[in-house]
Amino acid sequence: MLFNKECKKILLSLTFWIYSILVVIMFAENYYSEAKYPISKPAKGGSDYGLMVREDPELIMEGASASLMSDFASNRYVCYPYGFYKAVSLDKEDRDKVEEYVTEITAWDHDEILKQIDSADVYYMEHGFSTFPGYEFESVNIDKNMTYERYKEIMADIDDILGGGSAYKVDTLASRYSLVPMTYEDAVKEYEDSISEDTVTGSLARLFSDYTGIDLAFIPVFAAAALVAADRRRKMTELVYSRNISSLKLTFIRYGALVAMMFIPVFLTMIAAAIQAGEVYGDEPLKMHYMFTTTTFWLLPELMVVTAVGMFLTEFFSAGFAVAAQGAWSFLSLMSCGDKLSGNITKFCLICRHNTLYDRSAFMETYNDFVFNRIFYMVLALVMVLAAAYVYHLKRGGRFNGIRLFGKGSLFRRKA
Amino acid sequence: MDNSIIIRKMNKYYGRKQALFDIDLTIEQGMFGLLGRNGAGKTTLMKTLAALHKKKDGKITVCGVPIEKEREIRAMIGYLPQDFSMYPNMRTDEALDYLGALSGIPKDVRKKRVNSLLRKVNLQEHRRKKVKQLSGGMKRRLGIAQALLHDPKVLIVDEPTAGLDPEERIRFRNLLCEVAEDRIVILSTHIVADIEASCEQVAIMDSGRILWHGTVSQLLANARGHIYSANVEKKFIDQIKREYIVTGILTQNEYTTVRLVSEAEPDLPNTVLTDPDLEDAYMYCLTKGGEE
Repeated sequence: MLFNKECKKILLSLTFWIYSILVVIMFAENYYSEAKYPISKPAKGGSDYGLMVREDPELIMEGASASLMSDFASNRYVCYPYGFYKAVSLDKEDRDKVEEYVTEITAWDHDEILKQIDSADVYYMEHGFSTFPGYEFESVNIDKNMTYERYKEIMADIDDILGGGSAYKVDTLASRYSLVPMTYEDAVKEYEDSISEDTVTGSLARLFSDYTGIDLAFIPVFAAAALVAADRRRKMTELVYSRNISSLKLTFIRYGALVAMMFIPVFLTMIAAAIQAGEVYGDEPLKMHYMFTTTTFWLLPELMVVTAVGMFLTEFFSAGFAVAAQGAWSFLSLMSCGDKLSGNITKFCLICRHNTLYDRSAFMETYNDFVFNRIFYMVLALVMVLAAAYVYHLKRGGRFNGIRLFGKGSLFRRKA
Repeated sequence: MDNSIIIRKMNKYYGRKQALFDIDLTIEQGMFGLLGRNGAGKTTLMKTLAALHKKKDGKITVCGVPIEKEREIRAMIGYLPQDFSMYPNMRTDEALDYLGALSGIPKDVRKKRVNSLLRKVNLQEHRRKKVKQLSGGMKRRLGIAQALLHDPKVLIVDEPTAGLDPEERIRFRNLLCEVAEDRIVILSTHIVADIEASCEQVAIMDSGRILWHGTVSQLLANARGHIYSANVEKKFIDQIKREYIVTGILTQNEYTTVRLVSEAEPDLPNTVLTDPDLEDAYMYCLTKGGEE
């Protein structure tokens, strides 16, 4: 069976073993060392049970408005579009727009705003060789007619004006401005959620998937690119092209073999995690299937799409380009979707993060987006494999030779 | 059933550069030699016939099937590329089995074919060796075996003997002759001796064009009356090389016997009209641009 032969080829390749070793090392370094400490019931009478997000409109409007006044006064807004630091200063037109929103929120007119700025506490911040004034507002007036819905619309507009990734991004308002200290009862409820709803293994599976998901967003591309480029490297392209097998069948068999083989080390770490869970929580009634079902649904689509994109880009461009592009994608994904380590799963971010054994409720709030996300990437993976098969078909018949950006015969060299 | 390859007015471009010009050729069952210097367009023509390159225009049919039907063509053609190579860490029999699977041959048939082909190409005792452990000659024989795996009607071998020692070359040519008994074998080469020893039909290519097409004996007949040998002093050699196409130089003491191509009898001492060999005839054909 051709599938078995492709699997054997992958098994004997160096890139596969490097991939497997990396997966195992990352697992041992991150998950395994963290999950060995059991989740324990909070002790009564403690002084600090941590913070929790509670979407309190009043709290959010107070905090975000004070922050907005401060940023408006200094005309310096710190944003993180795609995870990268960016200090934004607005031109007059945009500044006027923001001022209109400030007026709408606070019911302060232009003069009152200036008066408030003058009376605010001023401090100075150093950034590189520059010094910036910062303004601190103890409290900001909120118009009595301001509804939370309208407030969110204003915040969304301001975030747009700032180019995204600002402190006014609607999705992150609660986590920024509405963190409240957990009571003993809150802490116990969170603990009990983990124990009863998840039987611990649900929490462990999410943590496992969080760590492994970061690895799988990048490392598989090496194996995918290596396999696709292997024929060219071994000067076997024409030999394989001239065979009778259809391009679609060959591409799908190779893709299937790659995904199956690369899932093996992940599956082995799942088994190790399950054994560890059994040892650490031996006395608890565990739903052990979570260690396999949740993790597979979380990680397999990611492995599938990274492999598929790697194959397509290697066919279309080159192995080097595929690795560089996937590196950029995974980095941007980590930066833009990892600004909050839990409760921040979106529909299109490649890496789904939930870096905690707690906060089940936050995960469940975004569960629909999570399911959509994983199905979307599975479908995208299949589309990319079809595209890779089509490019292969074109190359095979001499209708397309791929595009090489660097090296011998590249576009850039031809131009030179 | 049509057992021939028919090429009519076929042109091929690489981007804007024309690589093949109005190729017209009919290739019948048996050994067919395609002769030409490096860069003449032989490999391009071979790849086009193997459906690995797309022609610009014209018509090609392989055993009655238009070249555009790529899957049918691939099922009919066995191809040994010029730079033949295989996964170096695979065993010899494993490599054949893998390529057989890519050709869609069922497992039980594949097993029998691999065994019989390894015997045929004399690699039976090396079947457990890794491909990287095989010598150059063995690899070429493995190349033939892989091309024959799916029992193709047409076998295309591109420069198969380059770099082989004389013994391996003879063995390889004999092998090709054997397999040509019941199929079309196209041997593309710039080594005239390979054609002379194995092919009856031959075409000569130059600069992307077919210069001449016919039998080996016709090619020899064309050159008859135009090949001379002369005994000259060594010091005249350079001058003779400038004025004539020299196909051989044999030095004996102070005299040198030169073999050359000329339309008329050359004005040289001790000149004798000589029977042409295929190399002379090929050179004569190139100088005449294929005209008879």
